[in-house]
Amino acid sequence: MKYMLMLFDNEDWWNTITEEEIAEDMNKHDAFAAWCAEQGFAITGGAALQASPTATTLRRGNGEVLVTDGPYAELKEHLGGFYIIEARDLDQAMEAARHCPMGSGTEVRPVWDISS
Amino acid sequence: MDVRKAVEAAHRTEWVRVLSVLVRLTRDFDFAEDTAQDAFASALETWRRDGIPTNPGAWLTTTARNRALDQLRRRQSLIRRLPLLIVEYPGNDPSIPDEPGAFADDRLRLIFTCCHPALSLEARVGLTLRLICGLATSDIARLFLVSEPTMAARITRAKKKIAGAGIAYRVPGRNELPERLSKVLAVIFLVFTQGHTASDSDALSRLDLTRLAIELADTLLKLMPDESEVLGLTGLLHLTDARGAARLDAQGELVLLEHQNRSKWDQCKINRGLELTKRALRSRHGGPPGTYAIQSAIAAVHAEAVSFDDTDWPQIAALYDVLLFITPSPVVAVSRAIAHGMANGPQAGLNALEAIPFDPHLKDYAVVPAARADLLRRCGRYTEAADAYREAARLTGNGVVQAFLNRRIVEMRQVSS
Repeated sequence: MKYMLMLFDNEDWWNTITEEEIAEDMNKHDAFAAWCAEQGFAITGGAALQASPTATTLRRGNGEVLVTDGPYAELKEHLGGFYIIEARDLDQAMEAARHCPMGSGTEVRPVWDISS
Repeated sequence: MDVRKAVEAAHRTEWVRVLSVLVRLTRDFDFAEDTAQDAFASALETWRRDGIPTNPGAWLTTTARNRALDQLRRRQSLIRRLPLLIVEYPGNDPSIPDEPGAFADDRLRLIFTCCHPALSLEARVGLTLRLICGLATSDIARLFLVSEPTMAARITRAKKKIAGAGIAYRVPGRNELPERLSKVLAVIFLVFTQGHTASDSDALSRLDLTRLAIELADTLLKLMPDESEVLGLTGLLHLTDARGAARLDAQGELVLLEHQNRSKWDQCKINRGLELTKRALRSRHGGPPGTYAIQSAIAAVHAEAVSFDDTDWPQIAALYDVLLFITPSPVVAVSRAIAHGMANGPQAGLNALEAIPFDPHLKDYAVVPAARADLLRRCGRYTEAADAYREAARLTGNGVVQAFLNRRIVEMRQVSS
């Protein structure tokens, strides 16, 4: 099965982060990719997102589409990035999520399989 | 023997065996449940005609299995709405007969799947009572004081999540076992405590839940006979249940441990509980004892005391020290303070109670003011004790406990005036 790991974090952290911390964080993601390869989990997709103030949201209104500045949901923690991984079952996907660098939390969601 | 009674008895003892095999074969909870129910219905008819088989469980499993395979062949071409369960099983070819031992594994698969940590605790309890105990949704709703549609929705949602999210039908591996087993034990313990002291209810013991919890623990123990925590929980439940008859007096009022007539304790259950506790403390695979092993040891010390005064309180206080160390929880801290109050005097108990850091979980927990009240009473501080009893009476949802606390408030007024 395919699962999406949605990585949530408090963005304030990003505003005060140093170059070294960014490099350290990237190393953690590289280590996660290496761990996945070692375990035989395929990472089939993923991206790091820019901070939520850069987001623009389109909303369905009264017969028209409204454009607003900012993310869809105003939360204290935002989606900062995601992975799509291939795993045998939820236990394995949760195991991967535990090894993945974690901000404030990680949501594990099965991806709808439309191939069968 | 009455055929209806025989089918009812088989339902109690064989339901989980039949259902767990069907879940593996069909990979679909609803389909498996329908087929299992059909098999029990046909037993009623067939056994009336042909007599009760010597092994009802085997008869039911074979009948249900054949029906499922027959249905599966017919269903093959149908487009399914829901994803199927992930079943990881070396010989998951329905045409191959089941090996001996496969049933036990199937029951464990079902138990661990129903108690998966990705499900909410409420969902785990609902699923366990529905699928493992074979209870009707209406009965589960009644026992947990929610409406039947609410409980039905909760169970349906949980089944959909298991299939949709890919919660596999399997027994966890050795490295995952401690965490996963603790979830199963927590469900059984919750069913028991819900039955043992039902809050918001005037009947103190909901015997059905107590009995179901003990049956669940016994079933799990048969399947995992060497797990320390399974032994510990089963021992704890037997020891607690043994005191059942002494917990209420003839008027239905709560009797504290201190005043219980110990000759009313069920010695047979105590002996079973003591034996399980000893095994729990022995079979630890080298690790430290777990929370249920320690709790059953505490219950065992109580069970072995001929009277309240004769209780080995220092031993109990020491066991609570260990328990608080391995499971730091405010509730355990309160029990520990009570134990120290018994072992080292009421002032030591009050000191231990005062030392517990503020915790929002304790704000509405009636045991805290009740314990403080008892310790203050024993220190002779009756006016303060009365205030604490009043606070406890306000917080408890159990009518029998409330009546007891109200009696104490009156007593405090009498001794202080």
